[in-house]
Amino acid sequence: MLTIEGLKKSYAGNDILKGISIDVNKGDVISIIGPSGSGKTTLLRTMTTLEEADGGHLTFAGVDKDFEKLTGKEVNTIRRNVGFVFQNYNLFNNKTALQNITEGLIVARKVKKSEAEKIALKALERVGLTDRKNHYPSQLSGGQQQRVGIARAIALNPEVIFFDEPTSALDPELVGEVLKVMQDLASSGTTMVVVTHQMSFARDVSNRVIFMADGHIVEQGAPKAIFEKPSEQRTKKFLTDILANV
Amino acid sequence: MSLNTDFMVKVAQTAIQGVPVTLQIVLVALVIAFPIGILFALIRIYRVKGLQRLVQFYVSLVRGTPIIAQILIVYSAFPSLLNMIIGRAAFAINPIYYAYIVFTLNAIATLTEVFRSALQTVDKGQMEAGLMVGMQPRQTFWRIILPQALISALPNIANTTLYLIKNSSLAFIMSVKDITAIAKTEAAFNYNFLEAYLVVWVYYLIICYAAEVVFYLLERYFSKYRRPIKKTSGFNWLPFGIKQPKLERKQS
Repeated sequence: MLTIEGLKKSYAGNDILKGISIDVNKGDVISIIGPSGSGKTTLLRTMTTLEEADGGHLTFAGVDKDFEKLTGKEVNTIRRNVGFVFQNYNLFNNKTALQNITEGLIVARKVKKSEAEKIALKALERVGLTDRKNHYPSQLSGGQQQRVGIARAIALNPEVIFFDEPTSALDPELVGEVLKVMQDLASSGTTMVVVTHQMSFARDVSNRVIFMADGHIVEQGAPKAIFEKPSEQRTKKFLTDILANV
Repeated sequence: MSLNTDFMVKVAQTAIQGVPVTLQIVLVALVIAFPIGILFALIRIYRVKGLQRLVQFYVSLVRGTPIIAQILIVYSAFPSLLNMIIGRAAFAINPIYYAYIVFTLNAIATLTEVFRSALQTVDKGQMEAGLMVGMQPRQTFWRIILPQALISALPNIANTTLYLIKNSSLAFIMSVKDITAIAKTEAAFNYNFLEAYLVVWVYYLIICYAAEVVFYLLERYFSKYRRPIKKTSGFNWLPFGIKQPKLERKQS
């Protein structure tokens, strides 16, 4: 459904992504793990055109083109078919929880307001925040804000939702509520690509784990294989380091 | 020394005719400078080639010269320029137009900087979130970024307004009949300068205080989304109150 090949990105002469290829199939829940600075977030941002890639090919939503040659129209098509959940939520601060969700529907999708509100309420219900619909982001806890962020993404009914470290900015006791929502999404068949440091999520919820380091994909496979029998030395070391701290 | 109170009442009555003039200058300057200030701020933020330099130069020029010099230059340059174009009629123009020009040019420079800093306080994640729900950059700017920026700009816009109100008193140099000019004329007739100036003082105090209240209410109304659950510090309703308003805390 979504394929990228040889994705490259560099900042000021530093190669962050050195040719990444990923295949995302419908219903996949892919966890991307790896040490910080390995390019996980950059990968997500370039895949979704939030940042311009320096090279690579994309096949998605009827677009089949090199990243550098994407037209504005094609960029719009791509954005229209992905959802994005940010690390620091990025809810619209001047909009209520409900308006945060309806905004994209009304402005970008031209959905009627009453219809949009119906969709938004349904999305809020899925993340268990119907009673907070008229709250502004500043009046919500981090966990609640992130759940609104997820509701905002699912309300647009995208082909695939990208999660950029959705729980990293949260207090530890709030991580659970967000992970639970994500788990529900995964089990309902939503296609998800998740950059995460939550090894439990990667191991128990995703059907594929990608281990990245230094702008490369070092290893990928079923979570069981990666966590129990990693074939690469780097993966082994990363997992021992990170699991030692849990 | 005693104050001639009868005279003060008389000056107060005549000088009140200058209040609308003062307010007019301030409002015209603000209304014209507002959109231009936003535009200039955007030019500076996005470093629009060519124009950015011009805007920067303009802002430095206005900020780097005393307003009195600007008034003198505009008031001597414009009439002679116009004289070359429309002839004698140039000298029949109501001088208030020159005041509009000076104070608008001034407000543009101040507001450009106000909006620039306000726009930069809005997290760039807001734009990214807009793009990722499928909105165009322009739509995100108008619906998400600008409203937030304007609200965080409010205290500085209030400041600009107060400066405009006070600086507009310099319009008397261009023989605009504002509060100051009227009081000065009265004073010159009767040689009661102190009394006249005290009246001027009180008038500006009242106008500025009213402006402060208006901006406080605007800010309170528009920043409701920024208030968590506890109340922020209130407005100091007593102009000379030493006691600061208490913070009210509501639990929820």
